[in-house]
Amino acid sequence: MTNGAKILITLFSLGMIVISFLIGWWAKKKATTAELYFGSTGLFGPFIVGFSSMAAVASAFAIVGIPGILYSSGNAMTYWMLSSAAFAMAYIILGKKIRAMAEVGTVASLGDISDLRYNNNKWIKILMSIIIFIGSIAYLASQIKAGSELFSHLLGLSPMIAGFVIFGILILYTALSGEVGGVLTQAFQGFVMVIAGIIIIIAFFSMTGGFGEVLKVAATAGTVASGEIVKEFNAGFLDAWGIMPRSVAMTWMLIPILGTVGQPQVLTRMYALKDPKDMPKLGLYASLSHMVVGFMAVVVAYGVLFLVGKGLIPPLANPDTAIFAFADYLGLYAQLFVYAAILAASMSTASMFLTLSANIIARDLPSALGIKISPQKQINASRIFIFVIGILSIIFSLTSGNMVAILGSFGWGTLMSATFPVFVIGLLWDRATSEGVLSGLVVSLILNIVSLILDRSGFKWPGSVPWYVNVITASILVTVVVSFFTKGATGEDLDEKVKMVIDL
Amino acid sequence: MKLKGKTTSMVILSTVLWVVITLCGWMGHHIVGMVLGVVLMLIHMMLGASRNGELDKKFFIYPLLSWAVLWTASFILSEYHSNLYGTAMPDFTILGFHPSFAWTVLTYWIGGMLTLTAGFVLYKDLWLSEEDWDNFRNSLQEINQKRGLAK
Repeated sequence: MTNGAKILITLFSLGMIVISFLIGWWAKKKATTAELYFGSTGLFGPFIVGFSSMAAVASAFAIVGIPGILYSSGNAMTYWMLSSAAFAMAYIILGKKIRAMAEVGTVASLGDISDLRYNNNKWIKILMSIIIFIGSIAYLASQIKAGSELFSHLLGLSPMIAGFVIFGILILYTALSGEVGGVLTQAFQGFVMVIAGIIIIIAFFSMTGGFGEVLKVAATAGTVASGEIVKEFNAGFLDAWGIMPRSVAMTWMLIPILGTVGQPQVLTRMYALKDPKDMPKLGLYASLSHMVVGFMAVVVAYGVLFLVGKGLIPPLANPDTAIFAFADYLGLYAQLFVYAAILAASMSTASMFLTLSANIIARDLPSALGIKISPQKQINASRIFIFVIGILSIIFSLTSGNMVAILGSFGWGTLMSATFPVFVIGLLWDRATSEGVLSGLVVSLILNIVSLILDRSGFKWPGSVPWYVNVITASILVTVVVSFFTKGATGEDLDEKVKMVIDL
Repeated sequence: MKLKGKTTSMVILSTVLWVVITLCGWMGHHIVGMVLGVVLMLIHMMLGASRNGELDKKFFIYPLLSWAVLWTASFILSEYHSNLYGTAMPDFTILGFHPSFAWTVLTYWIGGMLTLTAGFVLYKDLWLSEEDWDNFRNSLQEINQKRGLAK
């Protein structure tokens, strides 16, 4: 890459960071109450919330990691990346109930909803907070690592300097404006991702001539080698399943689709919506923007397969470089938007999980432990924790590569295993008891840790099914079975107003 | 469609489905697992879309059931065309896609998204009407007044 290109990419990305900061700075005047600072409760319309939800869901891994997986293993992963229907599904399942809970009592966090549904059961709140906190730190660290290393590689800086410049600014505006700035900046970053997606998709079609040409190349290229790097091609590689075990494709369909309703970045946005009757529009905006970003990841993989199959670039030694190989081949305009999209994806997801983790420490855990803190003090404490967690995460993610990789296992599935019993079962079924949900959470926490240890020691799960599927199933099963033998937070013990939400 | 009184049965069914789908994954029965996954999602959406224990039949048929049929067909057709051609070049393509993958793009992705999202927008009042929401808020207000609470 030429120096001129590097300067332009840097200026372009810097512009995005500065605009994000200005949005965050402007938003701080809106974050006047704890409900607004922690949850943006009932503040925004469907367009802003839709783009924000999509941007927080689509992490840097979606832009960088997914094309690499598609390049190396074929189409199975498209079930995950093309899961755009999941937003409408999530809102149909839980949208009105989560939003309605914000009418029942003060809702500024997921912990508040748990309090209302389970009569302030502190153990449910504590366990759920711990699992969500672990998942949040995992997401946060991996976003910081991805964004920092990308720009350190580009500019020849130390990753630590790149990390503190990019994520230092993010920490500052997030601390100032809380979730109000979080939602607005994520919506802006989501918009950048969509623009980049449209440009990359057009570039793919003009470069390859369409998917038919890529299929022809895959069918005829055979084995392409460069030194020790070999890429095998055949037409079957581009069928629906690719070369992964087909049970993995099954998982990659089920978990992202049903898992979307259990992701904090989707759940918290349901109560950020001003008018619950706008939920269908929210689904429309989130789905449409997700379609563009998801398709971008697919066309990047197909574009690289085309280039390698045609011999225009050598086979990739590291599949995670697929998006850079594609952008480098296309030239400066693609590089500009690809880097901006990756930065936008990592910043939006990082800010979401930074506020979430700080809110757990400053608000949910103290209240679960019976420590009463005034709303203004909660906001001040959260600002401090955003700084502390943010700075520690930058240092940790850039100095403990192995630990970040280990923590990276706690992602989507871990969050789903904690939220599914509490919110999905708990708000759809009035017989879900506090004891049942608590048991499900205990099982989830223990099995997440045990599974991670087994996974790291090379244990092979039956049918190559990812371990989190077993954990989610176990936590749901335990929640429902224990609910049949217990009574907490049901019947007479269930608040009349919460019963109305479940029936809504 | 009356779901009142059936919620517990539906939750039991969905729990059994989670277990069976996981076992399908273990034993490599991916298509059975995926089709049961559609049933699992349909049950969740039926529970989520019902109002006071009643699911509007129109909303059930479109978008919910239409979406379920579309996705079920998608997975079965993807499997059929994958098995038909194996690693060989298929003798036809759909919009340039391998016929097996075309169903992922056309029915799983675009069709699934459009059916659910457009149906949701079109029939939003069958999911939550202005009246439902106002009644809910009024009832809350009455309870709050009785209890002497602000919210």
